[in-house]
Amino acid sequence: MTAEIGQAAIWLSIFSCVWAVAMLVMGLRARNYNAIISGRNGVIATFVLISIATGALIYGFVTDDFSMKYVVEVSSYDQPLMYKITALWGKMSGSLLFWLWLVTLFGAIMALQNWRATDDLVDYALIPMSIVQLFFIILITGFIEGIYNPLARFPNGGVAPDGAGMNPLLQTASMAFHPPTLYIGFTSLTVPFAFAVGALASGRLGSEWLLRSRRWMLLSWLVLTVGVTLGGNWAYRELGWGGYWAWDPVENASLMPWLLGTAYLHSVMIQEKRNMLKLWNIILITLTFEFTLLGTFITRSGIITSVHAFAQSDIGGYFLSFIGLSVAGVICLIVYRWKDLKSPNRLESLLSRESAFLLNNWMLVGLTLIVLWGTLWPILSEAVTKSKTAVPETFFNQVVVIPGLLLLFLTGAGPIISWKKLTPSNFKRMFAKPIVLGVVAGGLAWGGLAWKGYKFPIYSVLCVFASVFVVAAIFDEFYRGAKLRAKRLETSTPNGLLKLVWRNKRRYGGYIVHIGIVIVYIGIMASKGYFLMESKSIPLGESMQVGKYTLTMQDAFREKYPNYSRKGVVFAVEKNGKQVATMRPARHFYYRVGQGEPDTIESAIRPFGLNDLYIALGPLPEDFDSGGLVSVQVYHNPLINVVWIGVAIMTIGGVIAMGEKHQLKKSSA
Amino acid sequence: MKIIVASIMLIAAFAYLFIVGVKDTSLRHFTPDQLVADAQLVDNKGVQIDGLIAEGTSQWDADNFELTFAVRDREGVGKVNVIYSNKLRPDNFKDGGTVFVEGVYDAQKNLIVASKLQTKCASKYEAAESATTQTSEAKKSTY
Repeated sequence: MTAEIGQAAIWLSIFSCVWAVAMLVMGLRARNYNAIISGRNGVIATFVLISIATGALIYGFVTDDFSMKYVVEVSSYDQPLMYKITALWGKMSGSLLFWLWLVTLFGAIMALQNWRATDDLVDYALIPMSIVQLFFIILITGFIEGIYNPLARFPNGGVAPDGAGMNPLLQTASMAFHPPTLYIGFTSLTVPFAFAVGALASGRLGSEWLLRSRRWMLLSWLVLTVGVTLGGNWAYRELGWGGYWAWDPVENASLMPWLLGTAYLHSVMIQEKRNMLKLWNIILITLTFEFTLLGTFITRSGIITSVHAFAQSDIGGYFLSFIGLSVAGVICLIVYRWKDLKSPNRLESLLSRESAFLLNNWMLVGLTLIVLWGTLWPILSEAVTKSKTAVPETFFNQVVVIPGLLLLFLTGAGPIISWKKLTPSNFKRMFAKPIVLGVVAGGLAWGGLAWKGYKFPIYSVLCVFASVFVVAAIFDEFYRGAKLRAKRLETSTPNGLLKLVWRNKRRYGGYIVHIGIVIVYIGIMASKGYFLMESKSIPLGESMQVGKYTLTMQDAFREKYPNYSRKGVVFAVEKNGKQVATMRPARHFYYRVGQGEPDTIESAIRPFGLNDLYIALGPLPEDFDSGGLVSVQVYHNPLINVVWIGVAIMTIGGVIAMGEKHQLKKSSA
Repeated sequence: MKIIVASIMLIAAFAYLFIVGVKDTSLRHFTPDQLVADAQLVDNKGVQIDGLIAEGTSQWDADNFELTFAVRDREGVGKVNVIYSNKLRPDNFKDGGTVFVEGVYDAQKNLIVASKLQTKCASKYEAAESATTQTSEAKKSTY
């Protein structure tokens, strides 16, 4: 019965969605407040209805209702409760429902936050929100070939004895949370986009829409940052190849909206401060939103054969059509408001904060395009040259380095360069010290690496230079500000620092994010550029060497658990003749996956300071515990933990920046 | 004006990076059938193929830390041998499974010396076919 209620709710939500759009459009045109209220109610009703549908599906999981197609596909009797619930986004139709539910949730929050107010900008923004919702509702009604209604039952009252269950490999906490984190990041990007469309529609193209959507944007950005990192972390821990990023189309699809969103977070500041880039901001947030859909299109349509085996279906065509329609809609609105989008102020100098922000935007958008073209290269090349070529991981690693390093430099230069025009005094006061420190550090790094035998480590040296420059520049900013505030408030400098950050959460939160980014760069540089790898097959009792570590295979074990068996070996790890750790890499065999399925690598990862030692085992022979050769691959990943720490600092900075409430000045509009 | 010049220079720089990157690294993509047919064209060159792991061909040689197997075409009869050294066999590597291989092709031996191997990722979003077979099996047991 619940499934039928859920299905009815989905059908009804089409009505509430259309109602919301119609009432809002009518109410806003005719200045009819009652109609607007009715439209807001429609938005909330859609949320309630989709919540009922989502609840009905979760109820199906929890009660093991195996007459429901989707429940059979992703759940089973013995699946732990937590994974019965996370099965919601286990496959496509459920993911779409979850995605839709998030968009309706955000729509309802927008409507409720504005409940007492008579500010019509939010009401305008609720129209594009509802249109996006309508698109997803139609997708899951079951109309469309390849996706069925997630609440559908088997025809003719069929009931399966048990569900197929979720792949046990994916029943890990990080995999349970990685997809929803990305979904929350993607879906919340709809809100700033909706505000941009609302601003165009209403003609209120000042900074107001930026300020109103600022926290939403920061939230999306933060959640996306965490989501992308969780994906990399999962790959590192579970897949056994020692790395965390391989430029797979699916990874790229999640990175591109992040890059564009980062560009947008910066360019809005130029509009707020200098009333420039109005048109650019609208284009940028539109692109960011469209790229969340494009990512889904790329990964689900089957146009790119990715190793992430997404279910292929006609859904790609629908996504592409919706992208096309929404872009066309935004273009029409831009043309309609063309005159109002002109900025009164012009760029005065190429050496100014405005230019630094602009350059940051160019770099981020340029990187996005490179990643996009690289990802789509198999199709592009086939269309252009008639023969299909693809670009491997090395392509991306090669092309992102220079723009990436320039961006890193800007992370420090942007905050300290003066507005309008860089003056010699500004340069001397703000840039001199950080540059000197950067050059010294870069030189030291060069010397150190040359001494270790690296021939021409130019990128590492540049990375160290830029990192130290950025950190020095930002610390200087903190220090100056804190001292000044301490002096004014007649208190100590640390106290002044706290007050400083508290009063300017956005600015200093942003600087903390920049510090985090620098740390991530250092981690990526070291772990990607200087890892060690050893592969060797050895019997019990023998050792192998990785860098300064000697690993001796001391013992072997076989263990049985309720749903899998575990075989592996025990390594004693010695450094400089002293035992520092024991590590137990293994292979798991999950019973449920069935015959013919191989067992999986369960790497042992052990941090030594900020570095990791990472051991993975190859296929184990039957006599692996009695003299048979065990194939071992060991990685020494320097500073890899710095990557996770850097992201944590970025997150903290982002949360601080979110703490600042927007101030709406009457004059800003 | 200054901005336009600077923008054009930036666009040119990005285009240059992209083109050089593609030139340096891009690999012709083939199915095993196409590769066998065009073998001479790409002798000793980098290629990427995607196909299925031919049943019963895969062997792990622990002494040499080496994986050998053949990739067969999804539809046709073409087969290409692959050797992958000094790296572990990736998870989900099984007979009949999807595999991506990147490496240098030796036309005479019909062999790819692989530098990268990827199997179908253990993603939650499994292939449509496995989903439908599972459901149809579930259905079969019902009716």
